[in-house]
Order: sequence, then structure tokens, then C-alpha cells
Amino acid sequence: MADTEQILAKMKASIEAYDSDAAVAAAKEAATAGMDLLVAVEKGFAEPIRALGEAFARMEIFLPQLILAANAMEAGMAVMEEAITAIGGELETKGVVVIGTVEGDIHDIGKTVVAAMLQSNGYQVHDLGVEVPASRFIESAKSLNADVIAMSALLSTTMLYQRDVIELLNNKGLADKYFTIVGGAPVKQAWADEIGADGYASGACEAVKLLDQHREVWAK
Amino acid sequence: MNFHPELKVLSDEQIHAIHQSAMKMLWNTGVLVKAKTARDLLRRAGAVVNEETMICRIPSDIVEEALKGAPSSFSVYARNPKNNIHVSTESLHYEPMIGRLNCYDYETRTTHSTTLEDVGHLVRIADFLPSYHLLHSGAIMPQIDGVPIRATHVYGYLESVRNSSKPIKATSRERIMAEDCLRMVAVIAGGEDQLKCKAYTFTTDNPVAPLHHDRDQMEGALEFAKYGLPIDVTSEPQAGATAPVTIAGLLAQQTADVTSGITIIQLANPGNPVWYGTCGSIMDMRIGRIAIGAVEMGLINVASAQIAHFYDIPCRGTASATDSKMLDFQAGYEKTLVLTMAALGGVNKIFYPGTMEGALTISKESLVTDDEIASGLYRVIEGVNVNEMTLAVDIANKVGPGGHYLGQVHTMQFIRDEHFLPMLANRQTREKWEEGGSLSMVDQAHKKVQQILAEHSADPLPAGAEAELERIVSEVEAREARKST
Repeated sequence: MADTEQILAKMKASIEAYDSDAAVAAAKEAATAGMDLLVAVEKGFAEPIRALGEAFARMEIFLPQLILAANAMEAGMAVMEEAITAIGGELETKGVVVIGTVEGDIHDIGKTVVAAMLQSNGYQVHDLGVEVPASRFIESAKSLNADVIAMSALLSTTMLYQRDVIELLNNKGLADKYFTIVGGAPVKQAWADEIGADGYASGACEAVKLLDQHREVWAK
Repeated sequence: MNFHPELKVLSDEQIHAIHQSAMKMLWNTGVLVKAKTARDLLRRAGAVVNEETMICRIPSDIVEEALKGAPSSFSVYARNPKNNIHVSTESLHYEPMIGRLNCYDYETRTTHSTTLEDVGHLVRIADFLPSYHLLHSGAIMPQIDGVPIRATHVYGYLESVRNSSKPIKATSRERIMAEDCLRMVAVIAGGEDQLKCKAYTFTTDNPVAPLHHDRDQMEGALEFAKYGLPIDVTSEPQAGATAPVTIAGLLAQQTADVTSGITIIQLANPGNPVWYGTCGSIMDMRIGRIAIGAVEMGLINVASAQIAHFYDIPCRGTASATDSKMLDFQAGYEKTLVLTMAALGGVNKIFYPGTMEGALTISKESLVTDDEIASGLYRVIEGVNVNEMTLAVDIANKVGPGGHYLGQVHTMQFIRDEHFLPMLANRQTREKWEEGGSLSMVDQAHKKVQQILAEHSADPLPAGAEAELERIVSEVEAREARKST
């Protein structure tokens, strides 16, 4: 089993060195080595990215390290997912999150940090980018079979669009289907309560805590 | 002739390299310009415009020509002429922040959502304080607690212009908001024609780093250009996040952001007054937040002034800000360090006094403390006046060895010009300080806030103007209410 250990070490190293090419190469090796792919994902990718997330929360590493590592993992995971699906398996994740900055708001950073932290904590995250219209949040959540819709807004003028997403969910009778969370500089718990969002987080680590704590509410 | 002290952080060669790099970005990569009117202006001038991607690649000669057309000095008018100001590449003016979402509460050390009453108080305090010459206003706020959100700009402008006769800033956030505000400014100016001759307001246009001019902001700014009103075109890059992590890379990209914005404005209205603006800083990579009290901001302010002056246009900088959540040692150190660098670096308009908590919060007390630091810096940039009178050889002869200067008329004659006298900083003995209640500088500032609000009132608005302004506010409020139903 030295091979397996070696491959796992390569996978882990690729995340720690945030090397997408190495992550893809290690994932391909894992896929053809006949090893337990779910174990490979957990040990090779999930464990090191979780460790980096924790290190970031302790202010021991820099944000770009976390983002680059998350990118490397994403590249490697694409290979792993394909391989797991091919043998009829299913990837284990804590939950599926679609995340984006709401309509009219081009601010990218806060949402990207939250996405990276969620990813590093075992969530499958689909980043829809910025200026995401309400309808796209909902269509994407549907097609990706998401558990959580996460909405960011940096401006007090654009945070109103967070309400639009929730209203649209209500109108479509989908409000119970997704756990909605909001965040961003002007957003507070009171705003989340006012618009009927299921949760609010003041930062990236808080977002992870929020979802972890409410798992029984949103897990399908 | 006085020698004026100045701080430089770039050599001429370095400025040239930054300019060349910016021009390469504008031509090789181009800028995203979302306003169609702005793209049309650029295309007609010779830029390569892709209507599908909205990317405009601008040749350097167009940018350089536009920069040449921007004036190196201009005036901003106030409803009391004694408050008119003249902006140039050599002047220094402070613009305190007024409108922030949160307002600091001295008593509880917490914050609350800024109300219209807060806006009035903040402006009245800034009206009173001597170092503040150009006033940010409630018109720029995205939201004021208790005010209908789509009428914030008109409520905010009225409350501000009521409480100060200094030049009051208006918003360019959206075209319609700019139009509403400018109708109100025209009332102050005495008609639209008057407003076209005399700039009774000014605004900020923020390109979105990296290399992006938002549609709403640019359309708003072009409304100001119709009247020839001064616009500070200010990029807000964060090193490592929305700009290269290196300061040189940030400056090059910022220059591309800003000069492309200025080019659009000059094409719309040749000769329109502008500032080359910076609100550049770093992201603290340990937490992923902008650091607005960072020392690098000092370097960026000084470098930006040098770049602006290379183009022979005034510079707007950003200083007197802090990341601290209270008015403590961190606030004092961050504010003073960056502000001193900006003032000595030749920044011509320094924005952000009065802010704290990464500029998410405004503080009445901080407006007062920051005015004191700003006033001290006016003394610093005066430098050392050296002439026969100030060298005082005759007086030294007269006093002689072992004497003192307290009884000399010469001393009385020069005290006020030579010595800056702070109003808040305490220089008393411990005993006297304890007798006075052992107050900190912030406590002193709070007393000053109370005194100003009790005793100072702004020059009243001219008869008829207030009613007309109120009418516009009601009209806009009704229009927006109709839209949302």
C-alpha cells in the first residue's frame, strides 16, 4: 500500500503548495490506482484544505494562500468527481452551497473569502460571481440541487436585492427548499430577520459556524 | 522666499515608468466602460471599442492630450463668499467625511445608524471647524436612518446646505440622483446659468478597481461635467486584492483607472476641473479586509501627489482614517502618520477626516480631533521662515547671555505666526489637568462638540431658497414613491 500513501502525500502536497497542475496529476494517479476514492478525497484534499482554513482563522497564513489552495483543490476535485461518478459512487460533502454577490453589486472579495472558507470546511461551493440576479440564484440552486443560497452585498443600496431573492423564493413556493444566508458590510442580523433570511454571518468563519450549527435545519 | 518642506517617495524616472505602465494597461488590456455615452466619446476620439465586451482600448496619445487639457487650478464657490476656495497643485484643503452609515456614540462607545439629525450636526460641526474647506455631505450617503432610501440624496443635500455655508458636495452615484442634486445646487447658485459659471459644488467619481468604470457612476459624473463642476476621479485599489500586491503595480493600475476616467470627462467637457484621486491601500491578507490606517497608504498618497503633479493637475488623497473601533492610541497613530505624509507629500485635497473603523463609521468627536491635527499640519507645511527679522540677531544681542525673551516685543510679534496653539492637546501640569477633571483628548473633543452644537449656527439660507429646496425634496420623494409602487 506504499503507493496509496505516496499518492495521498502527493495530493496533500499539491494543496499545500497550491499547485493546480500537481493536484490534477495526483488526482489522476489516485483515479487509476484502484484506491478508495472517497478516502483519497478526504485524506488527500479535504484534510489539508481544512487545516489551511483553520490556520487562516488563526491568522497564521494569508488569504491568497487559502484562495490558491482552494483553486488547486477545485482543479483536483474535478478529476476526482468524474472518477467517482464513473464507478457509480457519490461524493460526500457537508452540503451544496450556491454563493454570489447580488444584483447591482460588483464587489467580489467578501463573497470569495466566504466561498474559500466554506470549501475548506467540506462544503461543495458554486460561486456564481457578482451582479447575480435573483432568478439566477434560484435557477442555479435548482440545477445544482443546492442546500444553501448565500448572498453577499457590500452596499446598503444593493442589500435590498437580498430581499428580492427571498421574495422570489417565496413567490415560487421554494422558501422551504433552501437555507438562505446573507452577509456583507452593511448587513446585520436585524436585516436578515427583516427580510426573512434563515441566517446571517458577519464573516467567513462565522458563515461556516452558522451552517454547521444549523445542519439539521437545512440538510436534505 | 520660504522653503516649503516636501516629502517625495518617487524619482522622476519612477514616475515615468508608472505612467508608461498605466498607458500599456490602457492600450493592451483596456478598460471596461459600461456607460454607452462614455464609450461613444472614447470611440470618436480614436479608442478601440468593443461594444459586446464594453472594453475600450485607449491609445496613450488620447489620454495624454486629455490630461493636458485639465486645468492645474480652479475655484469652488460657497454660498458665503468668504468660504470660496481656490484649488491648485500647490494648495492644501481638507474634506471631512460626513456621510457614513454608522455614527459613533461617545457615551456608549458603540455605533448607531446615522440619522438626518446626525447629518445636520456633523455638517454644522464641520462648518465651524477652521481647517475644513470642502464638505462631504448627506447627499452622498447610500442611506440615512428614517429617510426614504431613494430620496436620501435630496434630504441629505438639504440638511447639509442648511447647516453650512461652505462648498457642499453632491452625489454622482446615478444620473437621476446627480440631476436632482444639481437642480438643488442651482437654487443655491442663483440659477442654472450661474452654476455653469461658478462651481457651487463638486463630486467624486470612483472607477472600480481594476480597470472598470461603472455605468451609473460615470453617467452621474457626466451630468456634473455638463456644468463644468469639479470632479475628483478616485480609484480605491487594495494591493493584493483589487490591484497588484506591489505598491508600484498598484500605482500603475490606479493611474490607468484614474486617467481613463479623466479622459472620458475631458472628452465630454474639455477643460473640466478634476483631481487625480487615490483611496488606495492594502488588504490585510491575514483577515481579508482593507486596511485604511496602513502606513502604505502614506506612501500611496505621496506617490499619487507626485503622479498628479507630473500631469499638472491637483491631487485628491485619502488620510486621517483609522481601522480602530474607538478613538484610542491606534486611531491617533494611524490618522496622524498617514495624514502627515499626505500633507507633506503635496496632496491638494485630503478626504476622510472624522472617520473611524475602516471609514464605516463617522464620529463627531473625531471631526474635532482631526481638525486639530489638520490645523497643526498647516503649520508644518509652512516650514521655517528665515529672514532678518526671524533670525533675530538684534534681539539676541539685546537679551544677551543668561537673559530671557519673555519680555521682548519681538516675541509677542511672532507668537501667532510661528507657534501652532492646539485647542485640545493638554500641556498643563498634572495638578491642573486633574483639577480640570483628568480629561482625555477625546473627552475634550466631546465637550467641544457640545459647545459647537449649542453655540454655532450656520449662515441662514437666502429667503425663498429653503422653500424651493424643500419643494424639490418633496417632488423627488413623491416621484420615487410612485416608482416603487
